[in-house]
Amino acid sequence: MTPLLQIDGLYVAFGARDRWREVVRGVDLRIAPGEVVGLVGESGSGKSLTALSIMRLLPPGARVSSGRITFAGTDLATLSNRAVNARRGSDIGMIFQDPLTALNPAIAVGRQIVDSLRTHQELSRKAAWARAIELLDLVGIHRPAERAHAYAHELSGGMRQRVMTALAVCNDPKLLIADEPTTALDVTVQAQVIAMLDRIRRELGIAVLFISHNLDLVAGIVDRVSVMYAGRVVESGEVEDVFDTPRHPYTRQLLRCIPRLDGRTGPMPTIPGLPPRLGTELSGCSFASRCQVAQERCRLEMPPMRRKGGHLSVCWEAPT
Amino acid sequence: MPRFTRRLTNSFGGGSGLLGATIVLILLIAAVGAPWIAPRDPLKVDIINQMQEPGPDFWFGTDQSGRDVLSRIIWGARASISVAAIAVMIGMAGGVSLGLMAGFYRGGWIEQITMRFLEAIAAIPILIWAIALVGIFGVGDAHWGPFTVGSEAKLSALLGVLYIPTLARVTYTTAAVESQAYYVLARRLQGASSPRIIISDVLPNCLSPVIVQGTLLLAIGIVIEASVSFVGLGVQPPTPSWGNMLAEARNYLLSGDWWLSVFPGATISVSVVGFNLLGDGLRDRLDPRHATSALAT
Amino acid sequence: MAALFLRRAGLSLLSLLLVSLVLFVLTRSIPDSPARIVLGEDATAAAMAQFDRDHGLDRPILVQYGSWLKGIVLHGDLGVSFTTGLRMNRQVAATLPVTLELVTVAFAVSIVISLALGTLSAVLRDSVVDYGARLIAVLGVSVPGFWLAIVLILLFAVDRDWFPPGGIAPLATDWREHLRSIVLPSFCLGVFYMAVLTRMTRSNLLDVLGLDYMRTAKASGLRRWRMLTYALRNALVPVVTIAGMSFGHMFGWALIIEQVFNIDGLSRALLNAIQMRDYAMVQAVVMVFTFVFVIANLCADMLNASLNPRLASAA
Repeated sequence: MTPLLQIDGLYVAFGARDRWREVVRGVDLRIAPGEVVGLVGESGSGKSLTALSIMRLLPPGARVSSGRITFAGTDLATLSNRAVNARRGSDIGMIFQDPLTALNPAIAVGRQIVDSLRTHQELSRKAAWARAIELLDLVGIHRPAERAHAYAHELSGGMRQRVMTALAVCNDPKLLIADEPTTALDVTVQAQVIAMLDRIRRELGIAVLFISHNLDLVAGIVDRVSVMYAGRVVESGEVEDVFDTPRHPYTRQLLRCIPRLDGRTGPMPTIPGLPPRLGTELSGCSFASRCQVAQERCRLEMPPMRRKGGHLSVCWEAPT
Repeated sequence: MPRFTRRLTNSFGGGSGLLGATIVLILLIAAVGAPWIAPRDPLKVDIINQMQEPGPDFWFGTDQSGRDVLSRIIWGARASISVAAIAVMIGMAGGVSLGLMAGFYRGGWIEQITMRFLEAIAAIPILIWAIALVGIFGVGDAHWGPFTVGSEAKLSALLGVLYIPTLARVTYTTAAVESQAYYVLARRLQGASSPRIIISDVLPNCLSPVIVQGTLLLAIGIVIEASVSFVGLGVQPPTPSWGNMLAEARNYLLSGDWWLSVFPGATISVSVVGFNLLGDGLRDRLDPRHATSALAT
Repeated sequence: MAALFLRRAGLSLLSLLLVSLVLFVLTRSIPDSPARIVLGEDATAAAMAQFDRDHGLDRPILVQYGSWLKGIVLHGDLGVSFTTGLRMNRQVAATLPVTLELVTVAFAVSIVISLALGTLSAVLRDSVVDYGARLIAVLGVSVPGFWLAIVLILLFAVDRDWFPPGGIAPLATDWREHLRSIVLPSFCLGVFYMAVLTRMTRSNLLDVLGLDYMRTAKASGLRRWRMLTYALRNALVPVVTIAGMSFGHMFGWALIIEQVFNIDGLSRALLNAIQMRDYAMVQAVVMVFTFVFVIANLCADMLNASLNPRLASAA
C-alpha cells in the first residue's frame, strides 16, 4: 500500500547565508493511511522541526536543506507556496503544544473554526457555524453552541486542546500532526485528551503523527513508533516490538527511566550526560558519549541501519 | 582601538545611541561653555549689522537688532537645556519617591490615592498644563520673601512637577512587580525595615526604566520650553532661548529672512534627535523589555 | 462591556472633577484678584469688596466651586468671565470649531497613513518601503511641529504660492480655499503622531506575526488577507490606546500651530485670556481641553474593548 506520508532523508538546518547548522540529519519516516505513528525524542532531538517541515511551517532561520517529503503521492517540494497553503488545514491538520498561545486571543474559538471551514469549503456563514458547533460537540465539548462564542482564555486547558483538534480536523484531513498535544496539560487531563484524539481518528479515519517526549504516553495510542536522538532516527518499528525488545541503547535507557508502580524502589534511573548541542558536527554515533555499551568504532563511524522485519535500529550493537 | 570603540558603542546600546550621546555632549559643552565658545555677545545690539544673511562674518546671520544668531543659539542652549534638565531632576526626585511608595505599599490607600491623583494630572497634556499654569502664575519674576525666582526657574519647577506623574508611573510599574519578588520577602525575613528594603533593593531595579524615560523627557522638555517661549510665556527676551528666537523670527517670516527661524529650529530638532537616540540606545542596553514609552507629552 | 464603560466613565469623571478642583483652587489663590485686575491698582478696598460681592467672589471657595460645577453640569454653561464680563460659552463656541476641525483633519489623516504605512512596513520587512517608512517616522518624531510649520511656510507660501501662509479661509466662502489653507497646519500638527503611530503599528505587528497563534492560522491554511486581520486584531490594541491619547495631545499642540499660522482657534482665546489675566477664561478653556481629552481616551478604551475581548471581561 502506498504510504500517505513519506519522508526520505530529511535534513533541516538553522542559520543564515553561509553558516548553516544541521539540526535534523537524514530522517526517514513513513505513515500509511489511517495509521498512527509516534515520533519520540527529548527536547532538541529535532522531532518538532521534522513535523513543521512537512507543511513548510518552519520558523524563520530554518530551512530544509535536503530530503524529500511525499504526501499522497505528490512531492511537496514541487508545489508552489499557494498549493501547499491549500493543503494546510484541509489535507493535513496540525495541533500544537500550548493551546493557550496557539489560539488567537481576540477571536472567538468558533469563529476561528468557521474561518478555516470557509477558506477550504464553499459554505455559507450559517452553515459553517452549524458545522463548527457540530465539530465542537464531536471533540467532546459540552454546550458547544455556547462555547463556540467563547474566547481561548475563557476555556480550560483541556477544552482548548479539544478546540484545536476541532480546528485541525474540520476539513476532514487525511493526516493529523499532533505536536506534543498534551505536554502543557495536567496529567489527568492528558489521558482525556489522548482518549479523545484516539476516538476522533478512528471515527474520521485519519492517520496521525503523534510527537512526544514521553514514550510511555504514545505507547497507548500509536501503531508504530520512531525514536529520535540528536536529529536522527535511531530506532523504529511496531510499538510492541520496540517496547518488548528495544534494539538501541537509547531506547533501552528511555524505557528504564519510565517510573514504575510495581513496588520496585530505589533511585530513579536517568541517562547520564547531556545530548550534544544543537547543530554540532558529529562523526560516528551521536549517542556514543552517553551509551553504556559504546565501542571505539561507535565514536568513529556512523552505525548502519540494521533491520529485522519492520524493526529498524541504527546501532553497531544491534543484532543483525 | 577597535575594542575601545566597541565598548563605547555597546555602553550606549549601539551606533545610534552613540550618535545621540555625542550630540548631547556637544549640547552640554555649548551650554556650559557658552561664555567661552560663543563668538560674540548675544545681547549686544549692533544696528549697523542688522539682518545680515549668513556669511563669513556671521555664520548664522544676524537678527533685527544686529545680534549674532550663532552666539544666541549657543547661549540659548543654556536656557533650553537647563530648563529641561532641572525639570527632569525635579520630576525624578518626586516621581521616583511617589512611585516607590505606591508600588511597595500595594493595595493600601497610599497607592490608590497617589495613582488616581497622578492620573488626573496626566489627564491633560503637559503642554496645556504648562501654558495654563504659566499663564496663571504669570511670566516675570516671582518674589517669595528674600528669593527671586526667574521665569526660567518657574518654568523648570512647573515642568518638573508635571513630569512627576510620568516618572512615578514608570517607577511604580517596576516597583510593584519587584516588591512582590522573593528576594524582597527574603530581606523582610532577615529583619530589614521597609524603607531600607525600598532603597537598597527595589530602587536599583527601577533605575533603568527611569533613566530611559528621563532621557526621553529631556527631549520633550526642550520642545515644551521652546513652545512655551514661542508663545511668549517662557524665557523672556532679551535672554535668548531657542523658543523665543523663533517667536521673534515669526515677524520676519513673510519677508523671507529665513535664517532667523531655520537655525534655532534646526538646533531644537537636532537636540531632540540626540536625546531620543540616546534614550533609545539606553533603553536597548538597560531595559530590553521596552517597558517605557516615548510618548509622554 | 457595560460594566467596563461605567467604570471607565466613572474614572474619567473623577479625573475631570479633580482637574477642575485643582484649577479652581489655583485660580482663586493667586494674589491678583479679579477685582484688582478690573478696577485697577488704586481701587479702594470698599470698591473691591463690592466687586467681590457682585460676582459672588466673597463666598467660601467650596460654595463657589459648587455653583460653578452646577452651572456646567446642569446647563453646560461655563459662566461669565469676571474680567471681561463676557459669556465664556460664546467665546469658546466661536473658536472651538476651528481648532476641532484642524485637529480632526490632522488626526484622521495621521491614523490612515500610519496604519497603512505601519502595516506595509511590517509585512514587507526590510524592503525599500520599510526603510523609507522608518526613516520618515524617525524624522517625524524628531522635528518639532512648529518648526516644520515655519520651514514649510517659507518653502511653499513665501517662496512659492502653493499654500496660504496663514489663516483658514472659512468653509462657507470658498471650500477650495478652505482646503488649501488647512493642508499645511494639519500636516504639521499630525506629522509627529503619524510617526509615532507608524512605529508602534509596525513594531506591534511584527511582534504579533511571530506569535504562536499566527502559526496556527497558517497551519489552518488561511489566506494572507485573513491572516492580516487575525494579526491586526491583536496588534492594534496598544495603537488604539495611544491614538486616543494622541487626539487629546493634538489639541495642545494645535495651540502652537495655530499661533504660527495665525489661526483664530482656541489658542487665541487662551492666550488672550492669559494676557488679560482673565483666569476664569483660562480655567474654562483648560476644562474644555480636559473634557475633549478625557472623552477621546474613553472612546479609545471602548474601541479597544470591542477589539480585544480579554479587556472587556477583565475591566
